[in-house]
Amino acid sequence: MMGATVVYPARRIITLNPMQPRATHVAVRDGRILSVGTLDDVSAWGAHTLDPRFADHVLMPGLVEGHSHLKEGSMWDMHYLGWFDRRDPQGKLWGGMRSTDAVLQRLAQADAQMIATGRAADEPLLAWGFDPIYFGQQRMTVEQLDRASRSRPIIIVHANLHLMNVNSAALRLAGINGDTDVEGVVKFAAGANVGQPTGELQEPAAMYLVIRKFGDAGMLAPMTALGVRNFAALACMQGVTTATDLVNKLTAADVEVLEDVLNAQDCNIRLLPAFQAFHGTHGAALGAEHVQRLGARNTDKLRFGLVKMMLDGSIQGFSARLKWPRYFNGAANGIWVTAPSQFEADFETYHRAGLQIHTHTNGNEASEAAIGAIERVLTRAPRPDHRHTLQHAQMVDAPMFRRMAALGIGVNLFANHLWYWGDQHHDVTLGSDRANRLDACGSALAAGVPLAIHSDAPVTPLAPFFTAWCAVNRVTPKGRVLGANERISIDQALHAITLGAAWSLKLDHEIGSIECGKRADFCVLEDDPLGVDPMALKDVRVWGTVLSGRVHEARRT
Amino acid sequence: MQRLPFTVIGGFLGAGKTTLLNHWLRNAAGKRLAVLVNDFGAINIDANLIEASAGDTIALTNGCVCCQIGDDLSLALMRVLDSGRFDGVVVEASGVSDPWRIAQFGRAEPRLRLDACIVLVDASAALAHARDPLLADTLQRQLKSADLIVLNKSDLGLHAERPALDEWLDSMGACAPRLETTHAQVPLALLSAAYLPDDAMAPSGDKHDPFGHARQKQALGVSPMPGNPKHGARFDTWSCRPSRVFAFDALRAWLAAPPPGVLRLKAVLRTQSQDGTAAWSQLQFAGLRGTLLAAPSLEAGAAIVAIGLRGRLPRDTLQSFFGDSP
Repeated sequence: MMGATVVYPARRIITLNPMQPRATHVAVRDGRILSVGTLDDVSAWGAHTLDPRFADHVLMPGLVEGHSHLKEGSMWDMHYLGWFDRRDPQGKLWGGMRSTDAVLQRLAQADAQMIATGRAADEPLLAWGFDPIYFGQQRMTVEQLDRASRSRPIIIVHANLHLMNVNSAALRLAGINGDTDVEGVVKFAAGANVGQPTGELQEPAAMYLVIRKFGDAGMLAPMTALGVRNFAALACMQGVTTATDLVNKLTAADVEVLEDVLNAQDCNIRLLPAFQAFHGTHGAALGAEHVQRLGARNTDKLRFGLVKMMLDGSIQGFSARLKWPRYFNGAANGIWVTAPSQFEADFETYHRAGLQIHTHTNGNEASEAAIGAIERVLTRAPRPDHRHTLQHAQMVDAPMFRRMAALGIGVNLFANHLWYWGDQHHDVTLGSDRANRLDACGSALAAGVPLAIHSDAPVTPLAPFFTAWCAVNRVTPKGRVLGANERISIDQALHAITLGAAWSLKLDHEIGSIECGKRADFCVLEDDPLGVDPMALKDVRVWGTVLSGRVHEARRT
Repeated sequence: MQRLPFTVIGGFLGAGKTTLLNHWLRNAAGKRLAVLVNDFGAINIDANLIEASAGDTIALTNGCVCCQIGDDLSLALMRVLDSGRFDGVVVEASGVSDPWRIAQFGRAEPRLRLDACIVLVDASAALAHARDPLLADTLQRQLKSADLIVLNKSDLGLHAERPALDEWLDSMGACAPRLETTHAQVPLALLSAAYLPDDAMAPSGDKHDPFGHARQKQALGVSPMPGNPKHGARFDTWSCRPSRVFAFDALRAWLAAPPPGVLRLKAVLRTQSQDGTAAWSQLQFAGLRGTLLAAPSLEAGAAIVAIGLRGRLPRDTLQSFFGDSP
């Protein structure tokens, strides 16, 4: 028996189907798009209900975030201290903190709130998102943090997750003092407290001193159902209907949480978790088997089959692998997270198992190593339409894009970096030449490489229109335009956050455009992204989403 | 509380880390080790040695456990330290990680004492790796901070390659003592202070030979490392039982510039700090670095033992510093 047909008129429908780019009506039946066009076109299918709720809205295909992490939903158990404005899962906008005083004020408020709600005096106050790179040479110290609270331990996890700042109460409880002889426990080099810890803890061993005392709260906390639901709520606010969790161990417990949340009827997101395939020398065969087995549990909203590999670190953390002339400020070259030879061997194992591999590369030396390895694997084991994708690939230049195009490798560029770290890349990490071709969307399209763009949430906020705005304008907080010739058009950017990302997930036949037969996944907008100034693209207002025909209004406060 | 010796085994892919750990787990010589590895698949433990296997942990019948690190060493370390009583903790660094960074966990965790950061080098492939511009700096980071560099080869000895290897290691700033092995058969006493036995420091009839022949053999891992009967002939030990009180600062100064030729040293000594308080201290040294920590008093009196390559151990220097009479 066929289900009922609902016809939605809209101010405008941006279909992303180049053969029929615009429409005014879309008919939905059984969670799929039955027809799109004029009222006459779609009503020719017969009896239907006309639902006018989107008559004043603009409809687009549901947006696709090809590189995000579910952590975006669970960071909010901690207090946000970032430089930029950010919305929480309840829809509340938290202003960015541009000064140490603002950070301390937010912490003092949080402490007062904990006292007022009767939380134990020694319960730690956890915060996230702080990034000293925006504060110039100034580092946060224990003396400053003590102004927020002397008695309650305060633990701030930096935006890059590799550093912490703590106050004196936390130092005391963790047993960290001037005698602590662990590299990464930063100490005052001069002044009244010379030799005493500054409260900054760098890298895992130094942070271990705190973690062993306060447990695995915060960053290390396991994935929870609430966290996944919060992620879905944030996605709805941004018009996203399909997203990835681009590193997941996919243990039995993880899969149970995912199935519990995603397979509920009212869940408003499709999710593709990518199996964390950077492990020891013998894990790849078992890993490939694990992912293949999970494929049998795929549903329309939960899809297994992606594999995530990782070659290097991050550019702003100076852990990315860069080709000559390496770091602009002279920092030593970064690290390999996986040895190139092991990457190639493991990649081949997953590739031969028929799985699709997304590889994290930030520096161009890592991207080149990945391309070379994939080229050799494909020569040994050709596989049509593999759609292996480089993720971030921030320093890939035109010649490398041409190699990628020849090999059928797609790219998902980290366009948000242009805004969030663009000035730091220009002034500190890369210098102007390479900052101007950072996340080179224009070159990728010119070379014919399938393009997606992403947020890497929670590293930067999940918000595809913002990501598109970055790729279209390439402006930085200091007002620079980084490589004007790498800018792409709004049309190209909208393609990248819908069909482009869908291609990278092998879902472009199901989602990513509004066409007969595809899933009825829509992004419902108050404004028309094709009718705004390019600099206003990030401000396009999202009303909510439709997933498989089910309407979800975004939370707002 | 006695701190457990914490050993980090580093080195690039194929250097022999897993071979070494396989040997060690099979021949733990009565010591209960907690070994944290990157990958169970690589560890090859005889089925009859496995007592129980659950998730990320394999318990062996000899009291050792082997745990898979996963992606978080902090959690793996806390879990294993809470799970039982051990005589030593060993972490296998991944082939591209910097073992010295991992070694910092031995300083951060109060139940541990950083014992040694041991880096293996695949003697047959190292020079080729060194020419790979993608790898050279990674290898240098590993080697620079090693306490002991093990030049490992799968079958025959090194001979002709050794000078070129030494030249390359020198150019990398690798200043740790170098030891040649085959099949990663490093003597246990060089891997962990757990094998410089406390019982050797307990009551002993012979002041001048506290180890005795049999014990010396065990300490040097001859019997626990079957298949290489020559280890015993490759090392010298020196020991004594000083009765005097050492100045804390003098021991610190000794640790800052130990005489060349000492591969390992372990001592429990009476010490006096600058403010005059008397106490017992444990002095440990491996390769390049050591630690000086407060220790419970030793009923049998102070004791010290050192190991070096045959003919290289600076007995006279050790005797003149630690011995009672000049």
